[in-house]
Amino acid sequence: MPDNPSIGPHATTMTNLRAALTSLPMMLMTFVILSGGKLTHDPRHLFALVATFCFLNTLFFLMVKTGRTDRWRAILFTVFAVAFVISFISHYVEARGSMALSESEILECRTPFCHIVIPMTIIPLALTRTIIFPGTMTGVYAAIASMFIIWIGASLSLGRGFCAWGCFLGGWDDGFSRIMKRPIIKNIGKKWHYLSFAVLLAVALTSAAMLSPTYCEWLCPYKAVTEYVQVTSLTRLVQMIIFLTLFAGLVVILPLLAKRRIQCGLFCPFGAFQSFTNKISPFEVRVDKNLCVKCKKCITVCPTFSMSEESLDKGKARMTCIKCGKCIDNCPKGALSFHIKGTSLGDDRTAQRLLFLFPAFLFLSTMAGGNIQSAIVRIIGLFTTGSLLAH
Amino acid sequence: MDAFLLGLSNGVVCISYCAPVLVPYLLGQGSGVLANLGIVARFLLGRLAGYLAFSVLAFTFHTTLPASVAARSLIMGSTYIILSVLLVFYGLRNRTSSPACAARGSGPFLLKAGRLWPALAPAILGLLTGLTICPPFLLAFAAAVEKTTLTGSVVFFVLFFCGTSVFFLPIPLVGSLKRLSVLSTVGKLAAGIIGLYYFYAGLILLLGVIKYP
Ligand code: SF4
Ligand code: SF4
Repeated sequence: MPDNPSIGPHATTMTNLRAALTSLPMMLMTFVILSGGKLTHDPRHLFALVATFCFLNTLFFLMVKTGRTDRWRAILFTVFAVAFVISFISHYVEARGSMALSESEILECRTPFCHIVIPMTIIPLALTRTIIFPGTMTGVYAAIASMFIIWIGASLSLGRGFCAWGCFLGGWDDGFSRIMKRPIIKNIGKKWHYLSFAVLLAVALTSAAMLSPTYCEWLCPYKAVTEYVQVTSLTRLVQMIIFLTLFAGLVVILPLLAKRRIQCGLFCPFGAFQSFTNKISPFEVRVDKNLCVKCKKCITVCPTFSMSEESLDKGKARMTCIKCGKCIDNCPKGALSFHIKGTSLGDDRTAQRLLFLFPAFLFLSTMAGGNIQSAIVRIIGLFTTGSLLAH
Repeated sequence: MDAFLLGLSNGVVCISYCAPVLVPYLLGQGSGVLANLGIVARFLLGRLAGYLAFSVLAFTFHTTLPASVAARSLIMGSTYIILSVLLVFYGLRNRTSSPACAARGSGPFLLKAGRLWPALAPAILGLLTGLTICPPFLLAFAAAVEKTTLTGSVVFFVLFFCGTSVFFLPIPLVGSLKRLSVLSTVGKLAAGIIGLYYFYAGLILLLGVIKYP
């Protein structure tokens, strides 16, 4: 349960001071990451740098001070997703004059690589020793090798925490799932909780059979807000209609109505795949059975259906947990906590939480920082020159 | 390679349809991983025999197909569409096993067979699942019909068998039926999604836009 800071002015000052001191290392690290070690003289870039730095560190300070994680994480995560789309689309419109990917660019292997493709590349990689994605290995924006390195690092430390602290698309359904006050769709059958694993299986196998990333070609809702292949045939038209329908349904309407991350929790094959990496991550979300009164609040709020009565009995979240912290923020009895595997439940919970928050927030800042800065510069450009594009 | 990958992509469907029938039996009989392995091996051999019988049938069917490309596309396209609708339908249903699975309802027979020829019972069970006319199998059959020689058809089915068998290999290690039911749910949902893909493939064949496969 979050700390209660409202206990007199002296105590409040002490809490603020302690939170500020704890946040100091994060300030230093984010400054180095955002500035790349050198200060720019361009006023727009300087403004973007300062604004992003203040934004990130205010959120981290609030996380430490209030003891709430998800409330502040979600703001950054959603802003990141929107900033990513602004900066990604602008970058590609500048580079090739259109948001659409042409057939010749696919043939020349110039498609930007995204982590969602990773589970589809593994069987073909083992069978044919080739990456079945028309992208570039190194040296360019969204290259295959750099995405693999980021993914391996994040998986080892955060496991499926990637889906709450690193994914540049997840903020969309996370954001939409928070708009309504109460859910309209309350019960989603248990069978559907396994759908993302079925999608994973289906796309991994069909990708192996067709030697092409079938999820990207047929099922990715985010094509609607990133890039898509130019509509030059009936097949491309069908694909485009599927992308738009899935985006509207899984990323906007269902998250709005169910107040859950439907795309991430029930459909995304990468999310399902990433669940297995929770087994190697040192962090997990645990339930203190002595404190839990089985009010089931955590089951109701979990965005990815990772809390169930069974997990309460077992004392830990399901393997699909994205470590967002929403259940921890909402538990009225403080029975839930971020926990380091191998330590006992009674050990210092604040310290364990901070040990998780530092790498998780730093990873999110690293992923989000550049995109937010770029989006701010482009938005300033929109107001001053009338265009999001640099030239 | 095509047939192996087709088997691989359909194996999940095979296991989700037939496993709920056969695994309780296998687990009930086996004691320990090694004993289970022996049972699964006999079961798979029985299944291979069933597939080989079908490879001959597929070739015979091939010789009776009309020669014109349009007529063949029409037959294959309609087959894909009908089978994909079945796949989606079974994928969304709550039943634990497909009514198409020949091994379903064979419990009493198996009990008897198990008593009379304990070593043969898994092989008979395998043969029955091999002779099953379930949608994934029929999709493979449809693809095998395209083979022009008997050897081609046999090789196709052997490779298809190898692809689907990959999913049966972890069975000796599956200790709990509960985990199996999760696996079966995932398999059935995946079957529904793969069904949608075949539906599209059939539609395109019918529209004559592309030649499949
Ligand atoms: S919200 Fe807290 S007290 Fe309520 S069921 Fe979940 S862990 Fe138990
Ligand atoms: S179990 Fe808790 S931390 Fe895990 S995804 Fe659900 S709400 Fe987030």
